[in-house]
Amino acid sequence: MLGSRSPEELVKERMERIEKAIDLKEPNRVPLLIFTCGDILRKYATGYELYFNYDKTREASLRFVSEFPVDSLGVVTAAEGFVFSLAFADYPDIAPSIRFWSGPMHDALLDRYTRWPGRELPEDSILQFIGGQFMDVGEYAKLSDNPVAFVNEVILPRSCVNLEKPGSVKANASLIKLGVEASRFLKFLGDLAVDLARAGVPSLPLTFAYTPLDFIGDFLRYPTGALLDVRRYPDRVKQACEALVDPIIKIGLSLKPAGAKYAFIPLHLNEYLSPKLYREFYWPTLRKVIETLYDQGIKSLVFFEGWHDVHLETILDLPKGWGIAYFEKTDVRKAKKILGGHTCIMGGIPPSMLLQETPDKIKEYVRDLLGEAKPGGGFILAPGVADIPKEVPLENLKALIEAVEEYGRY
Amino acid sequence: MPSLDELIEAFVELDEGRVLSLVEKLIVEIPPPDILEACRKATVTIGERFEKGEYFLSELVYAGEIFRRIMDIVLPKLREEVKPIATIVLGTVEGDIHDIGKNIFKAFAEAAGFKVVDLGVDTSPDRFVEAVRRYNPEIVGMSGLLTIAIESMRRVVEALKQAGLRDRVKIIIGGGRVDKYAKRYTGADDWADNAMLGVRKCKRLIGLEG
Ligand code: B12
Repeated sequence: MLGSRSPEELVKERMERIEKAIDLKEPNRVPLLIFTCGDILRKYATGYELYFNYDKTREASLRFVSEFPVDSLGVVTAAEGFVFSLAFADYPDIAPSIRFWSGPMHDALLDRYTRWPGRELPEDSILQFIGGQFMDVGEYAKLSDNPVAFVNEVILPRSCVNLEKPGSVKANASLIKLGVEASRFLKFLGDLAVDLARAGVPSLPLTFAYTPLDFIGDFLRYPTGALLDVRRYPDRVKQACEALVDPIIKIGLSLKPAGAKYAFIPLHLNEYLSPKLYREFYWPTLRKVIETLYDQGIKSLVFFEGWHDVHLETILDLPKGWGIAYFEKTDVRKAKKILGGHTCIMGGIPPSMLLQETPDKIKEYVRDLLGEAKPGGGFILAPGVADIPKEVPLENLKALIEAVEEYGRY
Repeated sequence: MPSLDELIEAFVELDEGRVLSLVEKLIVEIPPPDILEACRKATVTIGERFEKGEYFLSELVYAGEIFRRIMDIVLPKLREEVKPIATIVLGTVEGDIHDIGKNIFKAFAEAAGFKVVDLGVDTSPDRFVEAVRRYNPEIVGMSGLLTIAIESMRRVVEALKQAGLRDRVKIIIGGGRVDKYAKRYTGADDWADNAMLGVRKCKRLIGLEG
């Protein structure tokens, strides 16, 4: 599928295509990006292999792009691990290496946030981030006072079996094991990027950030706990969100010296909140994170999970060209109408369609969608993160790729 | 003595503190089933506000929590069980651990008078089959938030067929990743990605006014 061009040329062309779209321009064709947490790669390897055997993951990713030449493939065969990054926010060399929580990292700390194939789960399942409630409402003040210390001293001992007794031989040994795994994982990510580039597929230079309220929901109070706290203890929640901004920005900037350009930020509680609560508890601190990173030369790749429709206008608060708004269920056509010329829009492929429609229907869908979303540029086609299940018929993915070639040209 | 209308109003406005103090006072003189009926009315209005876009998921989560706390007070006082309008066996399907939406649906279904047997999360087809045998429900409800959950739902429908139980129940699927495609693929009788609509559809599935 490389045609007459060398992999280097292809990488360059594809990266330019993506960057032009991000810069709100018209590239030569609409880019197609795929982010996977591994499910689609289970066509080529078991869940267990993907999470615990980095070589297998590289192999599977390469097989995927050789069959499905997309403009970029993001492979995250790991769980949410931002809490571990936050614990090391003051150490830019450590923080980003444990942003994604891999199977062997779980082995090292035995955290209670995640469950894994071949460990707590059957070998060919997908990993589970289950989260939990590791903080009491009475502890908001301590969290706000010093989030990094609080996570280290209070949360990790509660959430990780092997860190239960800080300073114990077991805890210290586990942290050393974690360090070893973190550097193996970083090496894997680097090697994977090199492998993919050899196949002509560029990787986005990513760094990571988070929304403060989601941090509280995902790692400290559980999503429903955070929502109830917003009602019952609004001031405590607000104060904690503000305190989390700084360490989150530090993590976002940690990979800047290594050339990172885009901060990936997945949103979780956005869909739950009324516009009023969103503007009060969620958006101000998220906005601060995005704007500060932007001032420092990092654009954000924000994944707006679920329905984000009622909050779309708030995105216009950001400076033009701030980054990429990646939508999951929100109709990208509608988003383009509101945000076109201000924000690069990404998304548009519902996974259930890939699973159940015929190739012809998929092509028709892409044609109609691009008819509306393509003009003027600033648009990237993608299914949601972690979206494509392994049951998706190969012809359907092929149809998707062909359709972009056919209808995505400018 | 406060009135049931006050309770309904406080519940609809999600005034948790007032709701609980009203229930504590009302429970002394008012028969528990009347309090439950007031709750049902309140949840219908809350549902309407949600569907009109005045309330959002966080309000539903909060309403579910308030309902749970009301039940904690009322249930121990209930001398005989109120006869449910029907039974729903409900669970998040295999491979999926998301249950916030399922729990909201459960609260609204209970408030509407259904008995709900909750199988929890990551529920295998076998456990659904077993529960249908044991509780003889009119409805099986499945929840799923992952796209791969759709496959798990299909396998539950298949397992119910194999066990010869498919025709004894109506099947409804729900959760953030289900849609018309998923209904078709799984062979369910209906689908809903919103709890209120789900409750109405459950009623319709068993021939009641939705
Ligand atoms: C909160 C959340 C979590 C929480 C879950 C907490 C919990 N106990 O539920 C945590 C943080 C633990 C979590 C974990 C994971 N998550 Co998650 N999560 C979400 C999130 C942000 C919101 C889901 C939610 O609660 N929605 C709100 C509820 C109220 O809506 P709902 O379920 O649709 O329910 C309504 C209706 O559908 C209906 N309803 C619900 N059930 C039923 C049943 C019946 C019978 C009926 C009639 C109606 C009905 O009533 C409800 C009220 O109206 C979504 C993104 C999103 N916005 O959808 C991702 C999302 C679902 N998660 C996702 C993923 C990938 C994961 C993980 C695998 C992440 C990981 N790599 O570790 C793990 C899951 C592990 C597993 N195997 O399941 C993906 C799924 C992608 C896909 N298409 O498959 C999503 C879509 C995010 C994304 N990447 O786009 N997650």
